[in-house]
Amino acid sequence: MNKPQPPLWATRLFRSFCNDHLSDAVLGDLVELYERRVSELGKTKADVLFVWNVIQFVQPFALRKKKSSPQNHYAMFRNYFKIAFRSMSRQKMYTGIKIGGFAIGLATCMIIALFIRHELSYDKYYANGPRTYRLYNHYEGPDGGKWTSFPAPLVGILRNEFPEIEKAGRLIPYKWFNAGSNLMRPEDQTENTYEEGFAYADPELLDILEIPMLYGNRDHALDKPNTIVFSRKMADKYFPGQDPVGKTIIFNDDTKRPYMIGGVMENFPPTSHLQYEFLITLTGEEFWKDEQGSWCCWNYNPYIRLRADADPVAFEQKLQSIIKNHYGPFLKEGGSASLEDVLKHHKIRTQAIGDIYLDSDGINDIIPHGDKQYILLFGGIAGFILLLACVNFINLSTAKSANRAKEVGLRKVVGSVRGNLVRQFLTESVLYSLISFILAVAIVWVTLPYFSTFAGKTLAMPWGAWWMFPILIGAALGIGIVAGLYPSFYLSAFKPIDVLKGAVARGSRNSTLRSAMVVFQFTTSIVLIIGTFVIYRQMNFILHTKIGFDKDQVIMIQGANTLGDHRETFKEELLRQSAVASVTSSNYLPVSETNRDQNGFFKEGRSKQDRSIGAQRWYVDTDYIKTLGMKIVEGRDFIPRLASDSSSIIVNQAMVKAMGLKEPVVGQRIENWRVYTIIGVVEDFHFETMKEKIAPLTLVVGNGGSIVAVKVKPGDMRQTIANIQLIWNKIMPNQPFRYTFIDESYARMYQDVERTGNLFAGFSMLAILVACLGLFALSSFMAEQRKKEVSIRLVLGATIGNIFRLLTRSFVIMVLVSFVIASPLGWYMMTRWLEGYSYKTEITWDVFVVAGSAAVVIALLTVSYQAVKVALGNPAANLRSE
Amino acid sequence: MKGTYLGEFEELVLLAVGILFDDAYGLSVVDQLEKQTRRPIMISSVHKALVRLEDKGFLKSKMGGATQTRGGRDKRLYTLTHAGVGALRQSRELRNDMWRQVPGIVLDGSV
Repeated sequence: MNKPQPPLWATRLFRSFCNDHLSDAVLGDLVELYERRVSELGKTKADVLFVWNVIQFVQPFALRKKKSSPQNHYAMFRNYFKIAFRSMSRQKMYTGIKIGGFAIGLATCMIIALFIRHELSYDKYYANGPRTYRLYNHYEGPDGGKWTSFPAPLVGILRNEFPEIEKAGRLIPYKWFNAGSNLMRPEDQTENTYEEGFAYADPELLDILEIPMLYGNRDHALDKPNTIVFSRKMADKYFPGQDPVGKTIIFNDDTKRPYMIGGVMENFPPTSHLQYEFLITLTGEEFWKDEQGSWCCWNYNPYIRLRADADPVAFEQKLQSIIKNHYGPFLKEGGSASLEDVLKHHKIRTQAIGDIYLDSDGINDIIPHGDKQYILLFGGIAGFILLLACVNFINLSTAKSANRAKEVGLRKVVGSVRGNLVRQFLTESVLYSLISFILAVAIVWVTLPYFSTFAGKTLAMPWGAWWMFPILIGAALGIGIVAGLYPSFYLSAFKPIDVLKGAVARGSRNSTLRSAMVVFQFTTSIVLIIGTFVIYRQMNFILHTKIGFDKDQVIMIQGANTLGDHRETFKEELLRQSAVASVTSSNYLPVSETNRDQNGFFKEGRSKQDRSIGAQRWYVDTDYIKTLGMKIVEGRDFIPRLASDSSSIIVNQAMVKAMGLKEPVVGQRIENWRVYTIIGVVEDFHFETMKEKIAPLTLVVGNGGSIVAVKVKPGDMRQTIANIQLIWNKIMPNQPFRYTFIDESYARMYQDVERTGNLFAGFSMLAILVACLGLFALSSFMAEQRKKEVSIRLVLGATIGNIFRLLTRSFVIMVLVSFVIASPLGWYMMTRWLEGYSYKTEITWDVFVVAGSAAVVIALLTVSYQAVKVALGNPAANLRSE
Repeated sequence: MKGTYLGEFEELVLLAVGILFDDAYGLSVVDQLEKQTRRPIMISSVHKALVRLEDKGFLKSKMGGATQTRGGRDKRLYTLTHAGVGALRQSRELRNDMWRQVPGIVLDGSV
């Protein structure tokens, strides 16, 4: 008989939930109905209706009643917990390793998660964030670029021609005139203090950046010329407990131009891409004649807030008219040959304020940025370390399964079903996970301050956040269940008859999976070790490679701009010291945090035809090259007091190449605002980080400069500095004496590399630690398993060496396999990382050898403790019971 | 014991069981109700009512009467109990009583 049948799965489903009282009767009804429908509506429709009917029966009246009472459940869970605690306390070492390893992995993850959260939270706090933007230039094409500075008049054009804009304001964020750092004092005091964190800003910027004010009115704090806004921190420092609005401040002893405090702003939040203590107004500021109206010089970073109804995409499109209507005419007037190129390639773009910190790839600004890649990388590492910890957990649970096998067998004999056992082991694993989480939170709590300083961030536990505890508990349960799944199914599958007869080969089955897990752990560890090595190598390369100047034994004295007429006196006094080799003074030094500029150069008389070559033009004095140990490769250095040298210029090799100057370079003439004669070529030296290629640079003679660099002879540095300070204090009694060493400033440029290196070292240490904990437990378990075998071997004459080899061989093989997998991985990763540097170290074979042997040695040390212990044991003690 | 209140649908189910006499099971009750009320009846709600009425003591049931068309499965056959008949009767009396109290003019004069 071949009657149509309703879908079998639906029938099964029905049976699975329906109680016995109704099951048969209802199913009979449904089948009867189904058959009726098949003849009326056809099979497909009948099938669908059948399933629908089944679903309708998912109601309390039809469901199977739970047989056991809630009290019974409670008792059962109590038993699970009791057993869990007993087995924990019986094997303290395993428990310790299981929980400790897990907690370390979790703590690492939590810290990294906090770090990533911090990185992602930059500039996300503005109420009008979605319509706040900054503008940047995009010069398309092969030798184009992106940068954020615009000419002064742009802001007026934005305000007048773009009704979409609600507010527009400019910022000068880099060291320029009084922006950057200054010596300052309140008018009624004489002692100057050195402060950093100055920037020029339009009054509107306070509103665009939504900076809360403590004193003064946000709309009027900067609207008069020569006003300044203090941060809360600085106001507390200089005027504790009072309203400083209206007080007068003197910069760099320039009493002709006092500044008035217009207000006090809240400190910039740590998650702002801008960090300033003082905002100086741009109202009425004119840095030189006609500066504000000219398109010559690009120094201002504009920020805008669009109206709520403006379309940002259309707005960006519309912005391009500025190039055509304003920049184009300026170029035409100057007769520039680049006009057509500019109109075609120069674009003005907008960037949402929330994207600035992480999404500014290729945009040239001087603001510190986060790195998306590092976020991904650290996230990945966090995931891996968590995985390692989970693997340990699984590995140990299954390896120790033999100890639980009898328990499982007995439970089954007295009536436990597999589901109950799975539940028991899951409960146990969740318990472990919860304890580990508590421990991990404690670890994070203790170590977070250290990590914060380490990473240069202010991280805090978000205790107050509503989601904190639910997430932690949820994660503890989730991870506990995931990590417990495999062991619980593995353990609960034992057949009682085998177990009770003693036929389960004590947990040695399934060693392939366990080996695979160990290999995985060590692969991760070795990759991290390789990463650490390469990063430190690169750091070493940066610090010790030939950089084109001599950074050792050079003291930089800051604040020399206040010396005024005493500059020469100071220099002469210094040179009178026997320890001083030479002295120079300039604003420009080949380390960061000193001045930079960018000028367009042409070959003489070609400014109308050629595109300009951008180059640094540094004003230096005649002792500059000598003091900093740079090398003249062609021509000569400046000669002191030689009048003709005022129109002389020294260029670097990159400049020669960029301009395409033919031999002999010396004697050729180049121009930017005026014509210079090249008198010498200086060997390329690094003045930006090694991520950058050495750019064209020129040196011209100029006096002044805020830094005096002193080259000292080897000797008692402390005494020399004390002597220099005496001279300084004699000449400048009211100025603080501030100095740094050029090699320290140089090292500071690479702080982020060093930081990454340290982080990597930390992570690889943690990974190794977790892996070793696992390996240690695993090896001691193996040793335990093979105790009898070893004893018999010993009795039959095996040497300790034999036994040692026997017990360690498999582990060493695993580590070697890991090494083979990890080497290409590590090589690939680190090659990618090094691509970010124009000047870099090479990854040589010894990196791998060191990393590999380190892993083998560490693994061997871990394993050998147990191996030696067993090998030295007394065979009689182990064999006695047989 | 649960309350003995009889809902409208439950009353209809009870009556249908009475009509069907010795062949009252889920599907036949559905058919009967659909025939009488001329509206679609959900089989699950009929079973639900049957279970509840049995709980209340208005119905009793036994298994039996398997046929080929239902895959050889037994039916759960329901019959009215004394209490069930009593409940029906009580409900009818309540209605009659209330009918009587409605003034004739209301019934005749209604539009």
